[in-house]
Amino acid sequence: MDRYIELWVESLPQLLLAAAQVTIPLTIIAFVLSLVIGLFSTAARNLGRFNPLNWLATTYVWIFRGTPLLVQLFLVFYGLPRVGITLDTWSAAIIALSLNTGAYVAETFRSAYASIPRGQFEAARTLNFTRAQTLRHVVIPQATRIALPPLGNDLIDLVKGTSLVSVISMVDLFQSGKQVAARTFEPLAMYLEVAAIYLVIFTLLSIGQQYLEKRTSRYVRTANA
Amino acid sequence: MLSVKNLSKSFDGNTILRDISLDVAAGETTVILGPSGSGKSTLLRCLNLLETPELGQLSIEGDTVDFGTDLTDEQVRTIRQHSAMVFQNFNLFPHLTAQQNVALAPVLNGKKSKAEAKKLAGQLLAKVGLEHKADAYPDNLSGGQQQRVAIARALAVAPDYLLFDEPTSALDPELEAEVIQVLMGLAAEKRSLVVVTHNMAFARRVADRIIFLDGGTVAYNGAPAGFFASDHARIQRFLQIFEMTDYKI
Ligand SMILES: Nc1ncnc2c1ncn2[C@@H]1O[C@H](COP(=O)(O)OP(=O)(O)OP(=O)(O)O)[C@@H](O)[C@H]1O
Ligand SMILES: [Mg+2]
Repeated sequence: MDRYIELWVESLPQLLLAAAQVTIPLTIIAFVLSLVIGLFSTAARNLGRFNPLNWLATTYVWIFRGTPLLVQLFLVFYGLPRVGITLDTWSAAIIALSLNTGAYVAETFRSAYASIPRGQFEAARTLNFTRAQTLRHVVIPQATRIALPPLGNDLIDLVKGTSLVSVISMVDLFQSGKQVAARTFEPLAMYLEVAAIYLVIFTLLSIGQQYLEKRTSRYVRTANA
Repeated sequence: MLSVKNLSKSFDGNTILRDISLDVAAGETTVILGPSGSGKSTLLRCLNLLETPELGQLSIEGDTVDFGTDLTDEQVRTIRQHSAMVFQNFNLFPHLTAQQNVALAPVLNGKKSKAEAKKLAGQLLAKVGLEHKADAYPDNLSGGQQQRVAIARALAVAPDYLLFDEPTSALDPELEAEVIQVLMGLAAEKRSLVVVTHNMAFARRVADRIIFLDGGTVAYNGAPAGFFASDHARIQRFLQIFEMTDYKI
């Protein structure tokens, strides 16, 4: 046990550094991009049934939800050079992760939008709101509350998904732990430590999510009771 | 003056309103009655362009639209600003307080500053007896209170015509009375009201004019006295249903 504690203390700075330099920035960048992608996809999928942008967005979501992230990552990093597109590891990781998460976020936004009752749109119309005003003042505040819990899931999946970038030789939290394990011959100790750090990140995110959910649900009686 | 000429509306090939023509005078309370499915809601929604008729013409206070061709956004907004709808299910914005619900439209329509709209909302909430609930969210209000906020919200856009689609049908009798009282106050002020309701006491006592729809056509259009004394078989059958339900209760 003493040996484990010694190992953990010794390796912690290295693991935290990997988390701070790769896992966390990758998560943040990919999540912000996936929100943008999700927003555009949702807008596109609300266009007419025969609009090509609608088809494009629908196809995008279909493909990226329907295939494993690992396969997407390999296609972007190892596959694209075959057609002349060579990306560095960061670009490849950001592209694959944000396209993957963006597809889930698009689903989250679509279902949040769909759950707003028809009466809300009718009230907005009878009060002569423009489409943009309806979106800004009626739809988005309510959709945000509905979207938060599934969006939290999307984010947490993304954090864990970043561990796959080790396969394109990025030294993230997981890869860093793997290196220490190989050096010290202590896989149990090291992977437990890696798991614990992921758990800490997850816990912090959950607390943030709870706070946001409370804040956006102030107007709902059952949520406060 | 609100005037409908030869208006027809169908859904999926079923004609719901057939060649309807009628005038609604300003300053009057017009009550629309009729059996379920006769097209009352559809007619009311056509007046606010929540539904677009296939044929006919609608004029409100000097603005006219002809149906049959696609309407521009501009046309829709021009006609729509003359009226505001109060719904059976209130349809308040749940994320806004009572006061914010009332104050939002005048600001977004560019008619009032935020401060003016807030003041107006306070006055209108007082008018419907809810000044003490200004900061309450709809979820924390009773049905009757929610409907009164919805009436204040409709009044806030200063519509020429207020349209009510069964405003009390989702309410218990006691709460219904609260809302009916507000309606009676508006009628006494000579506001122009068009009310779809199943409340016969209201129709009898408050209406200046009754329009009876049956199968998508106007079967009666005139004074309440004539309606309640009508010997038209369809109207008698309709009124009998209410007498019997009244009796059973
Ligand atoms: N959006 C719609 N799509 C298809 N059919 C509709 C639609 N709206 C109404 N209808 C049909 O039109 C007919 C008239 O409906 P409407 O709601 O105007 O009746 P109503 O007189 O208001 O009845 P109620 O007293 O039950 O409210 C009904 O048969 C209804 O099914
Ligand atoms: Mg109806």
